[in-house]
Amino acid sequence: MSFFSPVSRNRVSNFITFLPFFVVLIVSTSALAQQRVSRQFPAGKNVRLELKNLSGTITVESWARDEIKITATMEAPAVHFNPRQTATGLIIDIVGDNRDRGDVGDVNFKVQVPTRSSLDLETRSGQITVSNVQGDLLRAHVSTSGDITLSGISAARVFASNTTGNIYFDGDFASGGTYEFKSGRGTITLRLPANCGFHLVATAPAEKIKMGEFWHNGLKKMGEGRRIIGDVGDGRASVTIMNYQGDINFLRR
Amino acid sequence: MNCEKYQDLLSDFIDGSLASQDQKSIEAHLSACGVCTEVRGDLDAIVTYCYEHRGEYDAVPNERALWLRISNLIEAELPPGSRTEIPQNAGWWFRLMNRSLQVSLPQLAASMIAVAIIVSVATTIGLSRFGSGGESTGLRSSGLTTVAPNGQPLVERYRQQQQTIDYWNQRVELNKTRWNPQMRETFERNLGVIDAAVNDSLSQLNQNPHDEVSEEILNAALNDKVELLREFAEL
Repeated sequence: MSFFSPVSRNRVSNFITFLPFFVVLIVSTSALAQQRVSRQFPAGKNVRLELKNLSGTITVESWARDEIKITATMEAPAVHFNPRQTATGLIIDIVGDNRDRGDVGDVNFKVQVPTRSSLDLETRSGQITVSNVQGDLLRAHVSTSGDITLSGISAARVFASNTTGNIYFDGDFASGGTYEFKSGRGTITLRLPANCGFHLVATAPAEKIKMGEFWHNGLKKMGEGRRIIGDVGDGRASVTIMNYQGDINFLRR
Repeated sequence: MNCEKYQDLLSDFIDGSLASQDQKSIEAHLSACGVCTEVRGDLDAIVTYCYEHRGEYDAVPNERALWLRISNLIEAELPPGSRTEIPQNAGWWFRLMNRSLQVSLPQLAASMIAVAIIVSVATTIGLSRFGSGGESTGLRSSGLTTVAPNGQPLVERYRQQQQTIDYWNQRVELNKTRWNPQMRETFERNLGVIDAAVNDSLSQLNQNPHDEVSEEILNAALNDKVELLREFAEL
């Protein structure tokens, strides 16, 4: 017994024959809808990059060249993308370039910079990932949701903040440096070398600050365990952490 | 007419309230007399300044005391014979009121500044204690009068922040209709996180009005809320 008449069977077999073509066509159309732009800019060794995105990921990594390479993958081909070179570095302002243009979709950035670069990165939503950068300043700000991952970092000033999402920092604290981490809801994790020295002011809901192997009796708990304050090691770097709802974890490298 | 007479008429001249004959006479004198022209320029500048800054100053708190001080000053300028003689059996109030004070202009200016500072401090304290508006009820009910990290009383700072939040909230509400559902969801979710922090710290402060940690969290969360609203108001 057959479920299909001979005519129907013919149509089904035709459909199966052309199905792969339809699939390839749909995939290639969606790939064409995304636009990828890649540009390279000459830069000195101590360069500053400012990137202000509306929505999308920002991935920055260092490389051994005195150049900045930007690869932007845009969801909507009509996004305006006009990097501007300054005396000290490069400015990319997707927010300013697309003002009053409504929703322009995600723009995902992959950026390669010289190792000693200062970075000022900002997005309304989306992840920020920075690895192996050793400049003077590193600022990563996600105004709503998005994880921030900073690894292999050695900078005198680090500021990382989001409203929802985790913040992970793996790096060194310079003597006299300033380090601030702030999240609304998410886990803030700091992975530091054992000989790290800093003055700490950490604030989170009660019993959510876990100092791990950095704990010692000289640290003071305040506000029913919602704040830990005191020096670790020589206490020369200044570390301020605030988490409204999530945990704060210290890990020893 | 000599210069003194002309200078007496300068104020009316600037106001334009003189008869046309006097007006012409002064104009002719001013074109020839450098001293009077200079006086006219000074007077003009004072009148213009007062006109431009009209309404910027509050009324003096104790007008009578001020006028008494001024009359003392005027009396001090008068020749010794014209001063009121104080009888031997006069009361302390009479003696006080009829005392001649030698006060220089800088001293007078300093005392006026001191009065202004005292009035502004009194006003600030009065506002923080008896200020109107329902937003800070959460804090006021806790009897909190502590000072925020920036030196302002916390209730006052909270009230100001709340006003800023209300302003940006209105702007956000206007623009919200243009947002796509995903953006709206992101905004609501993140605002909820900040609001939870605000409410938690307010509830902690109601239990312990001098809780420094909660004060700082409240302050930070309110700042974050303003930032978020401001950013989304521009979309």
